[in-house]
Amino acid sequence: MQVKVEKQYPIAAGVEHAWRVLSDVPELAACMPGADLTEKADDQRYKGSIKVKVGPVTAAFGGEIEVLGLDLAGRTIRLQGRGTDKGGSSASMDLTAMLKAGDKPGECVLVGSADVIVNGKFAQFGARMMDSVTDMVLGQFAQNFSAKAAALQPAAAAAESTAAPQLNTQLNALAIVWRLLKDFFAGLFGGRKGGSAG
Amino acid sequence: MNASITERQAALMGMGDSRLRKEDARFIQGKGNYVDDIKMPGMLHMAIVRSPFAHARIKGINKEKALAIPGVYAVLTADDLKPLKLHWMPTLAGDVQAVLADAKVHFQMQEVAVVVADDRYIAADAVEAVYVEYEELPAVVDPFKALLPGAPVLREDLAGKTEGAHGKRYHPNHIFTWEAGDMAAADAALSGAEVKVEQKLFYPRVHPCPLETCGCVASFDPVRGELTTYMTSQAPHVVRTVVSMLSGIPESKVRIISPDIGGGFGNKVPVYPGYVCAIVASIVLGRPVKWVEDRIENLSSTGFARDYHMTGELAATRDGRITGLKVNVIADHGAFDSCADPTKFPAGMFHICTGSYDIPAAYCRVDGVYTNKAPGGVAYRCSFRVTEAVYLIERMVDVLAQKLNIDKAEIRAKNFIRKEQFPYKSALGFEYDSGDYHTALKKVLDAVDYPGLRAEQAAKRADANCPTLMGIGLVSFTEVVGAGPSKICDILGVGMFDSCEIRVHPTGSAIARMGTISQGQGHQTTYAQIIATELGLPSEVIQVEEGDTSTAPYGLGTYGSRSTPVAGAAIAMASRKIHAKAKKIAAHLLEVSENDLDWEIDRFKVKGDDAKWKTMKDVAWAAYNQPPAGMEPGLEAVHYYDPPNFTFPFGIYLCVVDISKSTGETAIRRFYALDDCGTRINPMIIEGQIHGGLTEGFAVAMGQLLSFDEQGNIQGNTLMDYFLPTMVETPRWETDHTVTPSPHHPIGAKGVAESPHVGSIPTFTSAVVDAFSHLGVTHMEMPHTSARVWKQLQASGVKS
Repeated sequence: MQVKVEKQYPIAAGVEHAWRVLSDVPELAACMPGADLTEKADDQRYKGSIKVKVGPVTAAFGGEIEVLGLDLAGRTIRLQGRGTDKGGSSASMDLTAMLKAGDKPGECVLVGSADVIVNGKFAQFGARMMDSVTDMVLGQFAQNFSAKAAALQPAAAAAESTAAPQLNTQLNALAIVWRLLKDFFAGLFGGRKGGSAG
Repeated sequence: MNASITERQAALMGMGDSRLRKEDARFIQGKGNYVDDIKMPGMLHMAIVRSPFAHARIKGINKEKALAIPGVYAVLTADDLKPLKLHWMPTLAGDVQAVLADAKVHFQMQEVAVVVADDRYIAADAVEAVYVEYEELPAVVDPFKALLPGAPVLREDLAGKTEGAHGKRYHPNHIFTWEAGDMAAADAALSGAEVKVEQKLFYPRVHPCPLETCGCVASFDPVRGELTTYMTSQAPHVVRTVVSMLSGIPESKVRIISPDIGGGFGNKVPVYPGYVCAIVASIVLGRPVKWVEDRIENLSSTGFARDYHMTGELAATRDGRITGLKVNVIADHGAFDSCADPTKFPAGMFHICTGSYDIPAAYCRVDGVYTNKAPGGVAYRCSFRVTEAVYLIERMVDVLAQKLNIDKAEIRAKNFIRKEQFPYKSALGFEYDSGDYHTALKKVLDAVDYPGLRAEQAAKRADANCPTLMGIGLVSFTEVVGAGPSKICDILGVGMFDSCEIRVHPTGSAIARMGTISQGQGHQTTYAQIIATELGLPSEVIQVEEGDTSTAPYGLGTYGSRSTPVAGAAIAMASRKIHAKAKKIAAHLLEVSENDLDWEIDRFKVKGDDAKWKTMKDVAWAAYNQPPAGMEPGLEAVHYYDPPNFTFPFGIYLCVVDISKSTGETAIRRFYALDDCGTRINPMIIEGQIHGGLTEGFAVAMGQLLSFDEQGNIQGNTLMDYFLPTMVETPRWETDHTVTPSPHHPIGAKGVAESPHVGSIPTFTSAVVDAFSHLGVTHMEMPHTSARVWKQLQASGVKS
């Protein structure tokens, strides 16, 4: 099953600081909930895993990430990731992420475009949740990324109300479903949808 | 004894009587005997490890964890079946199918390994513990792309084989090309036509989803060397022959028993890998092994229906007279060709696609293609692809009517084969036995006040405030069933005759056995009714038995509405043999010659002497007691009937729909179904069959779909998505009939059970499209869910 994701996220940091996180693959991976980079195979390739839990079902995808291109001038990184789970699922992703200057200094926009293919058991039984789960995963990722980039800015710590960046390290899809339901009902009553995911 | 003729007739409850079904008492009280009810001492349970990927190589299978679970007896893979040469098996279509995947998987949910354990729960746990390592390959799900040069090759086991079971193969993913008719004549009609229409039509993949899933209990007795298998099979004798040939056990030591079956619809015709593995496991372990699949397994891996991509072209005169038909089909058969057709017909009876019309020139061509999907194609009450053929011609006639601005009913009447033309030889090679389409059409149009409906539709179209679009669908179908004459119809070489054996007892009751097997059609009742009328014995005391290959005479089973046309004929012929002997005995008892006797309902009467008669019951006693000198005692007969032709039931269906302009929901306001199946054995049972078929047709046309994503993952294979109508959704059905007997059938009966499914599906499409026809819409693809109809409303600019 194929999903095309095109998202933009506001980042509470300037382009320079955000780029330092974006161009550092281990730092980037740390922003992804449930992800673990275990080994650097070579300059472009990393091995790792990501755990995804949907209710009682957990899938552990083990695989690798390959950096296809890093464009300093254009602030763009291109990545390819693929992994398989012993339970009989596989996933692959082609991602292009770019930073654009924001309206104010100390702000920028993370523009991401990804082609995700999921195959096997997850595609057969999880297909109806794919879009919403992807939205939520990327939403959490963007929040983590924003916090990391903000923490790199001098004097930013004093300006922020929270002391250390709170990272969501575990992806729990039940929490996602609860968020979805809350958003849905909020939407019904004309409330603003929470979070950066649409 | 002095009962009147009417009373004696009624007491028989024979042909024409709407007597209650004999089998219902046990079914509605939960006392049926299905495969899953079978429990044998020492019985083990089998479950299947299935592929999560549509196309992949198997790098390795690790059984260790599974075998370590207490209560697990065996884990079998293709490697374990290789020494027995059973890892591949022949299919009904002349191809081979993997029993357990050998080095490669070809469709999602394909069988890769089986585990045998003490109970179903342990078996399920063991399935999760078998670790299979896969290397994914690109999946092919589009049959058109499958035929492109350079497409991924699915069947590496067929590498280099350019001749298939049905002729030349033009591409590694091509299975067969099948043609009928005269292409030059059809092309000439098209090029010289005053009017031409062309339409692409897709009949999507659906699945019969019978209430009872497939399963078996295999029991090999190592002491006697005998194999007994209870199986959900619509053709137990054919299975016995196949199992004997594959296993080497003589047929006399193989016993296949089809007990009560909870719905077949063609889904229970093929021999599935699960059956073969259970039999092997039983032989290897020396204990009975049960395998019953669950709902998801049934929807994902067993015989699906349809998946025909059709292009039709009609040539006609300006005033609507059809002069030619040309049809091309790409048939998506899945990863193995296990399509359950008679051997010489890889596209079944698709060449009935000239329908009820007198079309002088016609040609059809079907190309079968391999894709990474479950195998099958013929199932779901389709009469061997007649569903596809009728859909095609009925849609084409509507498209032509729309182009010429001629009313749908009028254009059909103009092109019908006339009553006087029967028996009618069609341009594609069938000889239709009998029909009277004009009478049937008139009956339906009068019953629904067709002109009134069209006037109402016109008024609604003129009213901008009307909240609905009204549509009227009309279909006039001809079915072809009763396969079939052995010189053209065979299954794996066995001719498609059928059989009946009747034994009358001294006190006037009887046991009769046939080579067919009911899966809910009511044979125990209708067969008894035929015998009751032929022999003058009450149907209540005639026991009908089917399904046990050790006792029933050889038959080809029940599918394609063949039981009444073929076995029904055998029953009549066997009865008449008994009747002939009975007449001799009666003559002897009454001391007259046979020529002095008349038969009246239940007795032989001496001509001109009302006081002298002997009932069949009297004769039965005499047959065992005091037969005439030189005559064998006993009163029984067996008959094997090889039909001289197919039979051609027909019908006219009309449907009125109201589509909400705001939601796209379609309300079925009215569905009028007139069927002609020749002689009617039990009108109540016929009505029940019609209701069932119409409900299935409603499900297919309005909501059912098995689809696949680009990677070959099957979607909609659970009841969360697969539409099974309940009484909430199901429309009210109105049924009607005419009777045009089959001239070549001993009781004039044609068979009826698949007609309502075949005929209703195009009727729903015809109605939905008709609702949009004033906006220029000529066709809409099935299923007509609210979402899809809503999209058409937007596309056509309909304001709600």
